[in-house]
Amino acid sequence: MSKYRMSMIPAYPLENVQLLKDRVIFPYACYRAFGESLTLVTKRTGEYPYLSFLEGARLEELPEDQPHMEAAVHYLSAHSGEIDLLFLFGARGEYMELARTYKSLRPDGIIYMKLDSNIDWANALPLFDESFAAFLRSCDIISCEARRLQAFLYKKWQRPVDYIPNGVYYPLYPEAADVRFEDKENIILTVGRLGTAQKNTLLLLYAYALAFPELKEPWDLVLVGSVTPEFQEDYNELCGRFPVLAPHIHLTGNISDKQKLYQYYKRAKIFALPSRLEGGSPNVFSEAAIFGCTVVTTGVDAADDMTDCGRVGRVSPDVEDFEGFSRQLLALCQDPAYLARNFHDMRAYMQEFFDYERLAQRLHVLVDVQQIKRRRP
Amino acid sequence: MNITTSDTCISLEEGAESFTLLEKPERPDYTNVTERPYITFYYIEDESIWDRFRLCMERLPAFCQNDPYLGCYALALRQLYRPLLSDSRAKNVIAYGASPDCGAYPVIQDFMTFLQKGNALTALALSPFSFTALREAACCSLLYRLDACPAAAAVCNAISKVKQGGLILLYTIKDTLPSELEELCAMGEKDSFGSCTVYALTMSGAVSDFARTNGTDSFLFSRAADITARAGDLKNLIQAMLAGAALPGDAYLIAVTILQQIEELLLSIYDNLENDELPVRANELKEAVLNYYVGVSSHCSLTSYKEKLTQLSQLFFAAAEKEFSESE
Repeated sequence: MSKYRMSMIPAYPLENVQLLKDRVIFPYACYRAFGESLTLVTKRTGEYPYLSFLEGARLEELPEDQPHMEAAVHYLSAHSGEIDLLFLFGARGEYMELARTYKSLRPDGIIYMKLDSNIDWANALPLFDESFAAFLRSCDIISCEARRLQAFLYKKWQRPVDYIPNGVYYPLYPEAADVRFEDKENIILTVGRLGTAQKNTLLLLYAYALAFPELKEPWDLVLVGSVTPEFQEDYNELCGRFPVLAPHIHLTGNISDKQKLYQYYKRAKIFALPSRLEGGSPNVFSEAAIFGCTVVTTGVDAADDMTDCGRVGRVSPDVEDFEGFSRQLLALCQDPAYLARNFHDMRAYMQEFFDYERLAQRLHVLVDVQQIKRRRP
Repeated sequence: MNITTSDTCISLEEGAESFTLLEKPERPDYTNVTERPYITFYYIEDESIWDRFRLCMERLPAFCQNDPYLGCYALALRQLYRPLLSDSRAKNVIAYGASPDCGAYPVIQDFMTFLQKGNALTALALSPFSFTALREAACCSLLYRLDACPAAAAVCNAISKVKQGGLILLYTIKDTLPSELEELCAMGEKDSFGSCTVYALTMSGAVSDFARTNGTDSFLFSRAADITARAGDLKNLIQAMLAGAALPGDAYLIAVTILQQIEELLLSIYDNLENDELPVRANELKEAVLNYYVGVSSHCSLTSYKEKLTQLSQLFFAAAEKEFSESE
C-alpha cells in the first residue's frame, strides 16, 4: 500500500492545546501509519510545547502579515506538488478557496475532511449555495463522528460519509496501561467547562442530589474544570440547602497537569457526561473510557457510539431530564458487578473501535481505494 | 415572428419567409367527428372549427409576448389539429417543460374545450417525478419542451405515458439535438420555421421500444442488476473472511472497493429506493470489513470484529435482497 505526503491545514490558527486534539492527532496517527511526511500549516498563536509529542511532524508557520486562510492558500499554491493527502477539519466556508486551489493544481490529490459536526451545525450548512456544494464535492473522503449524524447526512447530502469517531492515540496515554479496577473508588467524575450551557453541569448536580438518599454506599461527585460564576452560585446554593451533600461534591477547578487529571480517571468508576450538545464524542469521554470508567451520558449525537448502544455504558436520552439521568446514575452505583465487568468491556471496546492507530489503518485503505479509482480510465 | 391569418389561410411569417399552418378546407369531410361544424356554410351560423382555430392562432402572439417558443406552439397546435378532430372521445394532452403560466396553454386548452368539453390539457411541474404520477399509456398526446429537459431518460419517461397511436410533439429552439435523441426524432416528422422546430412522432412499436430501452425504468433495472451482481461477489468474499480462509493480500481492498461501488450505485438511484437507509447499511458493512482487516493485520483478537461483520453483512444482504426482489 502507498505512502502519502500529508498536510493538515486548520480553518483557524492552531493553539498549542489543539495539537493533542483530534484535528491534529488523527492526521498524526495517519502519518505514523502510512505517511511519508506531515506538515501542519498555521499562523503562530504562541509557543507549541505539545509539538514535542508529535515526533516527525513539521510545523509550517504562515506569514504574520496576512489573514490565516489567505496565507494558507498561497502556501498551498506554492507547495501543492508536495501534498498528496490534504486534511481539512470542519465543513467551513473558509476552506472553499483552499480546496478549489488544491484540486485545480493537484487533480490527483486526495482531500479528506473530518467533519467535527453535530446536528445543529450540519443542518445549517448552505447546501443550496453552489460554491459550497462544489466544495463538498471536492472532498474525496468525508467522515463524521457519530453514526446518528452519518445516517442523517446520507439523506441530506446523498453522498458517502464514513464514520470515524473521535478516538484516542494510545502512545499519549502510557498511564492507561496501568489501571486496575480494584484501585478505583466510588467516584462519579465529570470533566469540562463546568456550568456552560453546552456542558449542562447543573443536570448532573441535581441528578446526583436526587440519587444521593438512595445510595447504599457513599459515592462522591468530582467535577473537574473551570467554573462559571453562575454554576458556583448554584453549587453554593445546593450545598447550603442540603449540607449533607457538601462533603461529597468536589469542585477541583481547572487541572492543566495531565498526570494529575489522569489520576482522577484512574480513581473514578463512573464518568458522567450531562452535555446538551457535542460534536461527536468529546475527548474527555475517550480519556475516561480508556481508564475503564463506565460512562453515563445524555442523548447527544454520539451517545450510542460511546456506549455501544447501551452495552458498555448508559444513556439518559432527554438532555433536560435530571430525574432520568439520576435513575441511570443510581442503577450504576447499585451494580458493582456490572461496573467491575464493564471496566474490561469498555477498555476492550475503546481499543477495538476508538484506537486512532487502527482508525488510521482504515483511512489508509479508503485513501488507496480513491487513488485506484483515479487511475482507472 | 408573426402569425398571420386570412379567410382561407393561417401562416407563420418572419421577414420574407412564411410557413403555412393551415388552409381552410373547401368543404367538410370525414376527418371531423366532433360536435362542432368544420366550416360555416349554408345555414350554419354557429362558430366553426376553422373560425375558432383562426381565433386561437390570432390570440397566441398576445398571450405569448416575448416568448421565443411562439413558433413552436403554433407548429404544435397545427399538429394537434387533426388528432383532436378525428376522435370524439375526450382527450388528455400532457404538457411538460414550459412554466405553469405559459401563455400558450390557455389558448390550446380553449381550442380543445371548444371541440369537446371533456378535453384536458394538463401542464406538469418541471420535475423528474411528474411522470411517476401517471400510469403508462395514460394520455393521447404529449407536448414536451426538449430544451427544459433534454435527457433521453426524461423524454422516454414522458413518451411512455402516451397511448399507442397517440401523438408525441417534441419542440425546441436550439440548433442541434442532443445526440442521444437523434435516433428517436428521426422516427418522426420535422417541422421547422425560424428558430422553432417541432418533431411529431406517432406512438408506435419502434418508438415504444426506444422509450423502454432508454427510460428510467431501464436505467433502474440495469443499476439493480449491477448492485445484485456486486453483492453476490461480495457475499462470497465475506463468507471466506468469516471462515478464516487464506485470502490474497488485496482481498480486503477488493471488498472495500466493491462496497464503495455499491454505495455509489445505490446513491445514483436513491430517489427510487424503497429503503432509503440502504446506502448507510452498505457503508456500515464497509466499515466492518475495514475493522476486520485491521484486526487481521494487527494480529489482535477478532471476536468483536467477526461479530460485527457477521451481523452487518446479514443486515445488508437481507436489506438488499428485499429491495431488489421487490423492484423486479
